[in-house]
Amino acid sequence: MTYTLITVSSVTYAMKAKTILNNSGRYCEIERQDKNTRTGCGYVIRVRDDPELICSILSKNGIATKDKKTVVR
Amino acid sequence: MMREIYFDNAATTYPKPPSVVEAVKNAVLRYGGNPGRGGHKTSQTAAEAVYKVRAKAAEMFGAEPENTVFTLNCTHALNMAIKGLIRPGDKMAISPFEHNAVARPAYALSRLRVHVEVAEAGDSDGEIIEGFKKIITPEFKLCVCTAASNVTGRLMPINEIAEICGENSVPLIVDGAQACGTVPLKMSDGINILCTPGHKGLYGPTGTGLLISDGKYKLGTIIEGGTGATSGELEQTSFMPERLESGTLNTVGILGLGAGIDYVKNIGMKRIKAHEEALCGIISDGMKNAGNFIIPSRGEKSVPILSFNIEGIPAPRLAGALSEAGFALRGGLHCAYLAHKTLGTFPDGTVRFSPSAFSSERDAVSLVNYLKKICKTGL
Repeated sequence: MTYTLITVSSVTYAMKAKTILNNSGRYCEIERQDKNTRTGCGYVIRVRDDPELICSILSKNGIATKDKKTVVR
Repeated sequence: MMREIYFDNAATTYPKPPSVVEAVKNAVLRYGGNPGRGGHKTSQTAAEAVYKVRAKAAEMFGAEPENTVFTLNCTHALNMAIKGLIRPGDKMAISPFEHNAVARPAYALSRLRVHVEVAEAGDSDGEIIEGFKKIITPEFKLCVCTAASNVTGRLMPINEIAEICGENSVPLIVDGAQACGTVPLKMSDGINILCTPGHKGLYGPTGTGLLISDGKYKLGTIIEGGTGATSGELEQTSFMPERLESGTLNTVGILGLGAGIDYVKNIGMKRIKAHEEALCGIISDGMKNAGNFIIPSRGEKSVPILSFNIEGIPAPRLAGALSEAGFALRGGLHCAYLAHKTLGTFPDGTVRFSPSAFSSERDAVSLVNYLKKICKTGL
């Protein structure tokens, strides 16, 4: 299965993102980043849907997203 | 041992609902991880439970979850809010009914060249509004006002004060300590930052509080440290709520608070307020013919708190006698120097009756009977 890992600012924003996406019937899980960025450790959300669509939904809800990475698991 | 009848719920509500007790127990047993501090399941389960309470509290006050900060109590929240917005040389306004949680930080800031103005008092809402209108100008950097006096229960005209602040682009901090849980305060009332304890009208455990922001003003910090975010930088985390939540959260207290919020929502603020008002009515009606029983002005509207004095008996002595008779009421200054100065009840203060959803009519009637006896025969 192919997923996209989207970096968010904090665990609070990860939780908010998960709540919003799950409430609209979309898959979303929270993970710790597997590699630290320059600012340190952080959280990512794991999604299945089109990442551009997800980022746009999150942006509309005041959630800033950072990097996106595709993974196959 | 004699049962003590507890009427000091303005200090902290007691007893707590059984659901709160259960939530606290459950938190100790099942949510032991440090929320937001790891990728493992134990941490994430705790983070998820904390987030649910955050979202619940945010919804109650019409805020966003990320702008809802957990604090230790209301004083902690007020200090973070006030000191996060004001700088030496700034001007700030406060109401004449503030608790020491506001008056003392304001006094401390005045010694750091902050100019503090106290709005004029008055018996009517109109006079209070005029008092704020007279002093607030765009030069002010902050206005702080209690939603309800912790001494008399008097409700302040928050919407009108918010309007004055809005017209002058002055941020408004509201101390919701005595109003949250009985008055449906919302950020859309024009409040920029709302501070509330979790352990009073929201029926959570002690050691809980909330700072809720509308997101318009970025607060400076008075405490810095680990936030579980931006750990690779020495600069404090810039985004909410982590910016204001350094150190491990009180997961146990927060989950208890969540159950307290559910309790208030399920019963309804209107119903809780009506019940408590009826009990205040039993005291005021029951004592109206006692000529020496004095109730200071409660303004045009109030929350269910009733302060009183019996002529010739200092409040601390009266509260002591009530305690010996099995009634827990708080006598003295209630940590509200400014409010008692304004009311003319300084230095002895008043005795405060503050019921909760758990207080009973029967117990209020017992108190009236005992007060009548004291009014007649003295101590």
